[in-house]
Amino acid sequence: MKIRKTLPLSLLVCITAFSFTSCKSDDPVDSYNLTNGVVVLNEGKYNGNNASISYYDFDTQKTYSDVFTDKNNRGLGDTGQDMIKYGSKLYIAVYNSSLIEVVDAKTGVSKKSISMVNDANAPSYPRSLTAANGKVYIVLYDGHVTQLDTTSLSLGSKITVGANPDCSVISNNKLYVANTGGMAAVNDSTVSVINLSTFTEEKRITVNLNPSTIQADSEGDIYVASNGNYGTIAGKFQRIDAQTGAVSDIAVSVRNFCIMNDKAYIYNFSYDANYNVSNKTIAVYDVKNEKLLNSSLVSTTLDNTPYCIAVDPSTNYIYVGTSDYSTLGKMYCFDSTGAFKYSFTTGINPSKVVFINK
Amino acid sequence: MPVQTISGKELTGLNASNISDVAQHFAGVTVKDYGGIGGLKTVSIRGLGALHTGICYDGLMMTDVQSGQIDLSRFSIENIASVVLFNGQPTDLLQPARMFASSGVLSFNSLQPAYSKALTGEVKMKVASFDTYNPSLFLNKYLSSKWSLNILANAIQSAGNYPYIEQLNSSGTNIEKKNRVNSDVKSLNSEVNSLYHFTDFESLSFKVNQYYSERGLPGADIQYSTYSTERALEKSYMSQFLYQNKNSCYLQYQFGAKYNNSTARYSERKSTYSTLTDNTRIDHYEQNEYYLTSAFQGFPTNYLTLSASLDGWYNNLFSSSNINYYEAAKPTRQTILGSLAAKYIHERLTVSANLLYTFTHETNTVSDAAADRKRLTPTVSLSYQPLEDKNLRIRAFYKNIFRLPTFTDLYYNDFGYTKLSPEITNQYNLGATFTEHYSGLISELECSLDAYYNRVSNKISIMYGVPYSSVRNIGRVDIKGTDVSVKALKKINSKSDLSLNLSYTFQLAQDYTTGSATYRDIIPYTPVHSGSGALIYRFKRFEYGYNYVFSGKRYIGQNSNASNVLNPYIDQNVFTRYTFRKFSCTAEINNLFNANYDVVKYYPMPGRNYRLSVSYKL
Repeated sequence: MKIRKTLPLSLLVCITAFSFTSCKSDDPVDSYNLTNGVVVLNEGKYNGNNASISYYDFDTQKTYSDVFTDKNNRGLGDTGQDMIKYGSKLYIAVYNSSLIEVVDAKTGVSKKSISMVNDANAPSYPRSLTAANGKVYIVLYDGHVTQLDTTSLSLGSKITVGANPDCSVISNNKLYVANTGGMAAVNDSTVSVINLSTFTEEKRITVNLNPSTIQADSEGDIYVASNGNYGTIAGKFQRIDAQTGAVSDIAVSVRNFCIMNDKAYIYNFSYDANYNVSNKTIAVYDVKNEKLLNSSLVSTTLDNTPYCIAVDPSTNYIYVGTSDYSTLGKMYCFDSTGAFKYSFTTGINPSKVVFINK
Repeated sequence: MPVQTISGKELTGLNASNISDVAQHFAGVTVKDYGGIGGLKTVSIRGLGALHTGICYDGLMMTDVQSGQIDLSRFSIENIASVVLFNGQPTDLLQPARMFASSGVLSFNSLQPAYSKALTGEVKMKVASFDTYNPSLFLNKYLSSKWSLNILANAIQSAGNYPYIEQLNSSGTNIEKKNRVNSDVKSLNSEVNSLYHFTDFESLSFKVNQYYSERGLPGADIQYSTYSTERALEKSYMSQFLYQNKNSCYLQYQFGAKYNNSTARYSERKSTYSTLTDNTRIDHYEQNEYYLTSAFQGFPTNYLTLSASLDGWYNNLFSSSNINYYEAAKPTRQTILGSLAAKYIHERLTVSANLLYTFTHETNTVSDAAADRKRLTPTVSLSYQPLEDKNLRIRAFYKNIFRLPTFTDLYYNDFGYTKLSPEITNQYNLGATFTEHYSGLISELECSLDAYYNRVSNKISIMYGVPYSSVRNIGRVDIKGTDVSVKALKKINSKSDLSLNLSYTFQLAQDYTTGSATYRDIIPYTPVHSGSGALIYRFKRFEYGYNYVFSGKRYIGQNSNASNVLNPYIDQNVFTRYTFRKFSCTAEINNLFNANYDVVKYYPMPGRNYRLSVSYKL
């Protein structure tokens, strides 16, 4: 009762308060489709709820900065870790929201969001995606791999792999998973080999400490980039022989790479004393003949630090996403000789590229 | 130097539960609040960053060498007599040297009851929304006319599971209603104080404080997820004594000592910790401080005061974790501070200056330690009353000081950088205060207006990288601002009065780093406009109050672009209190209009909530 006396003033202040709150109008969403261009998954910032999808259209040369929100009226979630296109759909692993988003690859409309949880109903954190035989294989950072049926969009059985598995690749009907042990007492240094016919782990191949990126060539050889422990044990670029399973070192420094048409496109950089990024290079390595073709393909100075690399199979154009980890990123496009073609702005931390060709 | 004080009825009339709730009513203060009772709360003064604010409890500075910041959520306002904000430094010269060693000081002092033969004190019970219970007890006994002893205990238990609104798109047209999870708190703060007065001007005080807290750290609100398991267990023990002798009018002195031990255990159960026992990551931290201080002041002439103070202390930090990327560091730091100060008061002019010398020496068992540091930093201030019959004073100060890199900045595995230099601040202030007593419409009026220019250079900035980020001294921030505050009191009659306090701050804190991509963009989390107000009406046994805190838009990242905007907010509260003899009953409504806002993005603040307290004074 007594409070009533102070109410009129409170109301007055409240009215002034409303004038502080700006009203944003919704931008009209173009009825664009993802028909011919580059789809970029932007990781966003961890705990920033700003994972997003950018789309650069080859025909119109226009960039759409937030496809998922345009099409679904909601954000993609926190930390976009991986994205693949399989059939008519895009599959997106949203790590910290622990979700798999299944999206129509043409319209960008979500068909299903699948919450990834373990038996205790706690998040299992999807880390990387691969697809074969009508299934998407989901690597979970809690040490498992599960499968998603791409027709029914229902999850299948789950198997255990090493600690904190990161990237994965399929070769000869086998799934290779790099076990980082990134959140273990000691880093892992193995690659799990999973037979996809039986969906069982066949073996673990020991590589250098803390393997992360993993790719395969046409002969079935597996290439692994590892990080070491960032101190006494250095990172390495290694090859696992398809036939013998033997592991050999390659004397090339690699932060991250991708393989296209039996060429590994590699980026590397280092930090100087002032923690500025230096020695940014894009190298090309022939994985069939095992030799370095070009140690520095690109002469263009990149604005920031490389964050992802991909090659368009139809043009052999090389795409390098760069980031300063806090502001909007940039996607560079170079032709196969390393000449700069164009660039476009992405979201924060462009982490994955998918090409959609007519 | 600008000094702002909130005490007595003003302090209890702000719907405040902890010191940061009070501090946000000072002009020029920005509070960073991660929400809820257990959410980290820190204050920064005039855009300088929270690590530049010294926190002082009952005359001696608090410490945290690990993070460099004191979490104010642990300091309840129970039994606090006054909260004072000093821009620059306290004006009293008989102070530990450490009081001169930060860009500003937020000081709070506990209640000391007047002499009484009987046992005095207060028993209080607060019950609030989200299953919050907060009993407290304060007892004071004078063992003789010279010696008093008091004990204080304050316990908080809260579920803290308040509802909030998560926006799924930036326009706010698609929302999800959620509740905070893992935000429960259990804490107990207990304290024993002894105060012995040899004479009216000579005293020895002794304090022992013990704090325990076990709470959930709900973390950032993550879209499509409600999972949160990180817990913090904190224990701290502190004891201090302070001896002061002001018997002589030629030479006065004080000595003090303090020991502080605090431990923190953070644990998080997550499926990704699959190789760790019980899927749980556990980090331990322990830090100690041994501190000694002495200060002297003399009065060679009627106009001049000279003082010298010398402080020395030792800090160490132990940390361990069961996860691979954490290497246990055991850094230590020895600090010596010496200050020489002089104050000249002549008629309507006061001029004071001091010079502070800092020496630090560090060791580290695991890797290199930072090199020794030696620095000399000056402060000058002036106050002048231009008209003899008007209580108008013009004031100005300049202060050059720095903050040391924290142990996290220096020694945190892979992130830390031992070659860091201190982060330097230069403050320039020009202002005026006006105080008047009237017989008409207003009984008492106190106004102040200050314009300031601050520069932060050698800024300790995070250099983002993969897989690790690091820190370097890069960057400069310039802050131009104005603080305004008005305090008015209207005495209606002997039984009723009306008081109004208003404060407003305009500040432009901008990135002035040469070659920065965000040159002249606004520094994150520093609003251009902010302010507060409180209106209290007292009538016989009743008290009614309304107060608010508002903050204009802020940016959450280095870029002052639309995607980084954090919306403005106004948080308004009302209360009513009824006091009858020894009983007092207070009903509060906080966030009256249920504003949905974040102080720190994705750390939602509680909506409308209620608090009822009943107390009995012995």
